[in-house]
Amino acid sequence: MIKLQHVNKYFYKNEAREIHALCDINLTIEDGEFTLFSGASGCGKTTLLNVIGALDTIDSGKIFFDEKEISLLSEDARTTLRLNEIGFVFQAYNLIPVLSVEENIGFVMKLRGFSDKEIKKRVLEISAMLEIDDKLKSLPNALSGGQQQRVAVARAVAAKPKIILADEPTANLDSKNSQKLMNMMRELNEKEGVSILFASHDELILNSVRRVVKLNDGVIVDD
Amino acid sequence: MFSVIFKLAWKNSFLRASRTLLVIVMIAVSMSMMLGISGIYDGMIENMADKNQRSDSGDISIYAKEYRSQKDIKYRINRAKEIREEIKNIDGVESTVLRVKAEGLLSTAEKSSFASIIGIDLKDEQIFGKFSEFLKDGEIDFKNRGALIGIESAKKLKVRIGSKVVFSTQDVNKEINSIALRIRGIIQTTNINLDKGAIFVNIQDASKFLSLFEGEAMQIAVMTEDNAVFEKIKNRYPYLDVKSFLELNPMIKQMQDMTLIFNSITFFIVMGVVFVGIFGVMYVSILDRIREFGIVLALGMNYKYIRAQIILESLVVGFLGYLLGAVFGAVILIYLRDYGVDFSSFSDALEMWGYEAIIYATIKVSYFTATFIAIITASLLSVLIPLKKIKKLHPIDVIKADV
Ligand SMILES: Nc1ncnc2c1ncn2[C@@H]1O[C@H](COP(=O)(O)OP(=O)(O)OP(=O)(O)O)[C@@H](O)[C@H]1O
Ligand SMILES: [Mg+2]
Repeated sequence: MIKLQHVNKYFYKNEAREIHALCDINLTIEDGEFTLFSGASGCGKTTLLNVIGALDTIDSGKIFFDEKEISLLSEDARTTLRLNEIGFVFQAYNLIPVLSVEENIGFVMKLRGFSDKEIKKRVLEISAMLEIDDKLKSLPNALSGGQQQRVAVARAVAAKPKIILADEPTANLDSKNSQKLMNMMRELNEKEGVSILFASHDELILNSVRRVVKLNDGVIVDD
Repeated sequence: MFSVIFKLAWKNSFLRASRTLLVIVMIAVSMSMMLGISGIYDGMIENMADKNQRSDSGDISIYAKEYRSQKDIKYRINRAKEIREEIKNIDGVESTVLRVKAEGLLSTAEKSSFASIIGIDLKDEQIFGKFSEFLKDGEIDFKNRGALIGIESAKKLKVRIGSKVVFSTQDVNKEINSIALRIRGIIQTTNINLDKGAIFVNIQDASKFLSLFEGEAMQIAVMTEDNAVFEKIKNRYPYLDVKSFLELNPMIKQMQDMTLIFNSITFFIVMGVVFVGIFGVMYVSILDRIREFGIVLALGMNYKYIRAQIILESLVVGFLGYLLGAVFGAVILIYLRDYGVDFSSFSDALEMWGYEAIIYATIKVSYFTATFIAIITASLLSVLIPLKKIKKLHPIDVIKADV
């Protein structure tokens, strides 16, 4: 369970161009949720995912990840938390350029100490589902945007984290691939109990999720 | 976890292969040059020390007190022959020689110059210092008042093989005495005192000429590898002037000290090259990869593994540079040991200082161990600043950037 209490986040704090990216956010995310953060571009969806994912710091308030308060953890402890509990699909993909698609997908599993055999099996399974199994040996920069996006999704789900934070995972996909991806996500959520939080304005996601949190200029306007 | 670190390190080094290779070659070249220079420098000094020891002082030389300062034959070792026999029996003594010496005037029909007559036993000298190797011209033969002359004296007096010379000096009874000698050979020891002013004769002839008593001599020289021998002799003959090779040749001692300074300087230069080289490559490579580090941090790879990866990369570069440098260096050193460097264009100046025209390199294991330590240390030091840069990295700043 993740709990945000009176969370505030600013950029350029105390400067003329100050941006209040998250305003007094109070939010509880139960285990096994399938939820979308929606809202116009720049409303704070990515920022919200980043603070939940212990990637970004907050200026006030508290975020609990299960019982742990994230802001009290050391840098190393937050790194370990990300590794073991969270799967990220970044808006900018962020694949590791020197590693092949296969190695990218297996990277988090490898860090977590899965055996090569398990990794191989899982990589094949997921890449087949996302139809990138013919690209396993390629380097990321040889892939189209949509293919890179699917690799990023595959990497996030491969290690079966407790929660997946997916930032615009369908932004570069056609509707057929988007649908496949959402089916896979739903299956993961329903069968494995993985919580999944989306940030997106894709109708398709909007229609698949069970809960929608609507943001506007850093404020939750609808839940 | 090691396999992940290794894979990232490997792929990155491979991607930047030409840069990495350049640094490896840079390290190897500077290291092998340093090894060659050290070998030649040590070779010079060792050669000089070796010639000095073999032609004169040995590892230890024994004189009567005052002899070295006064150069007067009244300061001679009376029981030299017996003492030599006693010294021969000390453990660790390899060989010994007796020498009879006197200062005087060496003349030809036209010219004369100051010189020392040195009475030696050829068989003993051969065992002691392979005396025959010093022969430059003629033959080694003391029969019928035969004598050998130092090469510089020979030039100065315009003496050739077969020339007749006369040596005059006071004998022990203060009588002026002369001896006519026939030059049979010319000697080059690169020991300047001998080359410039020595005439070697049979030790018996010299003793008789100087009216010495049986068993008297001016010098007992001892060869030994055992450092304890010196103290033993010194304690046993407190009434004699017992001196070690380095005490007798303070210049060589100084030069050895200089080698140390000289070698440390080259050592630091190599360390500097390694440091700058690896620092440059690692720094640029880390700047290139800042996004990659941000991503792996975001995904949950701990900083300490990133650190390990970077240290590994730098150690591999340093180590490969070392390996290549060790191979180059060994080839250069072996060549210089076997064929030497020909300094004959400066040979007059060099020989004046006791060097030879062709210098052969010395090879020491310490060259390789010391450079190993230097290179590994420099490799480790060179990543400190790049690591600091990564330590300060916040993954969020990197992963937000657009593709
Ligand atoms: N690193 C940053 N520095 C300064 N301002 C930032 C930074 N990151 C985000 N912001 C600002 O914070 C606000 C929220 O940004 P955020 O990226 O969370 O929006 P978003 O809802 O994800 O938008 P989009 O749908 O376009 O991805 C925006 O006004 C943005 O300009
Ligand atoms: Mg966003």
